Amino acid sequence: MEERGRVAGELERLIDGGTPHKSAVASQVPMPPPRNPRSAIHAKSPITKELGEEDVGMEEVSVVIDGRQPSWLNGVELLEDAKWNKHVLPTGCKGIDILLGGGLREGQLTEIVGPSSSGKTQVCLHSALGVADVHLGVVLFLDTCNSFSPHRIAHMVNSQSDTLVKEGKEGRLKRIMSSILCHSLFDIFELLDVLHQLECKLKHQVKSSGNRIRLLIVDSISSLITPILGGKNSQGRLMMITTGILLKKIANEYNLSVLVTNHMVGGEGGSLKPALGESWKNIPHVRLSLSRDQGSNVCNVSILKHTIIASGRTAKFVIDN
Amino acid sequence: MSETSRFRSLEGGHGALKGAQTAWDMLSEEQMQKHITTGCEELDAILGGGIHCKEVTEVGGVPGIGKTQLGIQLAVNVQIPVECGGLGGKAIYIDTEGSFMVERAHQIAEGCISDLLDNTAHRLKDFPACPEILQPNSFLANIFYFRICSYTEQIATINYLEKFLEEQKDVKIIVVDSITFHFRQDFDDLALRTRVLGGMSLKLMRFAKKYSLAVVLLNQVTTKFVEGSFHLTLALGDTWSHACTNRIILYWNGNDRHAYIDKSPSLRSATAPFLITGKVYEVTRVI
Repeated sequence: MEERGRVAGELERLIDGGTPHKSAVASQVPMPPPRNPRSAIHAKSPITKELGEEDVGMEEVSVVIDGRQPSWLNGVELLEDAKWNKHVLPTGCKGIDILLGGGLREGQLTEIVGPSSSGKTQVCLHSALGVADVHLGVVLFLDTCNSFSPHRIAHMVNSQSDTLVKEGKEGRLKRIMSSILCHSLFDIFELLDVLHQLECKLKHQVKSSGNRIRLLIVDSISSLITPILGGKNSQGRLMMITTGILLKKIANEYNLSVLVTNHMVGGEGGSLKPALGESWKNIPHVRLSLSRDQGSNVCNVSILKHTIIASGRTAKFVIDN
Repeated sequence: MSETSRFRSLEGGHGALKGAQTAWDMLSEEQMQKHITTGCEELDAILGGGIHCKEVTEVGGVPGIGKTQLGIQLAVNVQIPVECGGLGGKAIYIDTEGSFMVERAHQIAEGCISDLLDNTAHRLKDFPACPEILQPNSFLANIFYFRICSYTEQIATINYLEKFLEEQKDVKIIVVDSITFHFRQDFDDLALRTRVLGGMSLKLMRFAKKYSLAVVLLNQVTTKFVEGSFHLTLALGDTWSHACTNRIILYWNGNDRHAYIDKSPSLRSATAPFLITGKVYEVTRVI
């Protein structure tokens, strides 16, 4: 009975995450500033020092439990992670960058919503170009509507490198274009497969390689989800949310930014609202709404949802020809 | 799929992903890709050379503006031999309204051939086989025609096209005239219609990419009540407007027909006038 009480007490302490126990306070290991918060130390050590022979089994169980759950982080570790690992990637469209306070943030899922021909694909192409050029990382463009235009990207690159000589221009073009990978998908299952492959690859790759993926673009995710959403069963919604969660997980764990595009459908009273419904609204971290007046080069962008900035703020940017 | 087997399957591809291509490779491929001429120089100019392969282009306009004429013209122009600067491919014409007229197609084929013989005679001299190929009847023989009478037939045909394209490797254009006809009246459940159309457009996108062909969808217009007035917009709603890569709108400007690029990832918005004559689409003549 006495022993059972002691084991129960140990278990309780394990679950609490190591509240200091009598003499354990002195033996607590100080925590160094973490480079990667996943390696943060749980307060395991104070307890294991105290365990006697009978509790070796408890130690093994605690290892198994801790291995299965993601590590608990405190505010300081999260702040360190945000400072060191989650950079801001400029999109190249000045209006959007100013509105977002820098650009797309790594670790976040950003959604661009807009009616047809409002500039969503142009923003995606600009961002791909900007990231490939400045940050020396790889951009992965998942294209569902055959709108990835290498010719357009080349045109944008060349219009930016007016000051270079011919060899410099070609070298720059080749460098940038070789860092942008494009894959066409026409099925939600293909998308999930590609994301799982990507996750697998990122888990096994060497951390310090120069060809790290920095930006993942899915243009457009709504055309994959619309054919399965709705109807009598809710599997479509399940797949949509699974995809959203997987995208956010990849963004957070591997420190890349995810950009998706969505279209608009008719709402009440003839106004437009974003497609994919209410369940999708909570999934992206940042939602931007684009619109463009007929025949003009100027796009209006407004914030529908953001983790830090107030929604409703607007800006304009120009799509250059 | 287990993690190890997935990891092993990654090794066959480029860096990050199996099946991905770099933009640099795609650029070189794109520069070698020929376009399908519409027959009208100005229209070709705003389209960047003609209708692009590997893309889905939607053409919309009021009845009588010339959408079917454009469809037939493209089905003929895709067959221009490679020696004369064309693609030398075959065409699939899916007709849902019954507006395809064989006599008109014959007329257009004759016009196209006579233009070729006039303009590129110097190239044709080197190719003795050409006179047999350049007959209107052989042009007609290379257009595969499907007549659709209901939306189920339309869905079935598009599902069947995959097998057809595997067998007929030369097909370079699919024209669907019109994509909207059977979906406008019979559908009670609009949500189901959106899903079905979404699935159909994804399939067509896949064909365009996989078999490197052009897909041209002809669409009708409808009136929409927006902010107190009626506007003409393309049929099938907002979701369908995202289903194409490029969109061209044909409209009347006084007595003249004009074409306007409404949506494109790589072309700037521009307008071009065109004429429909006895032979082919032509540039407007300055009077």
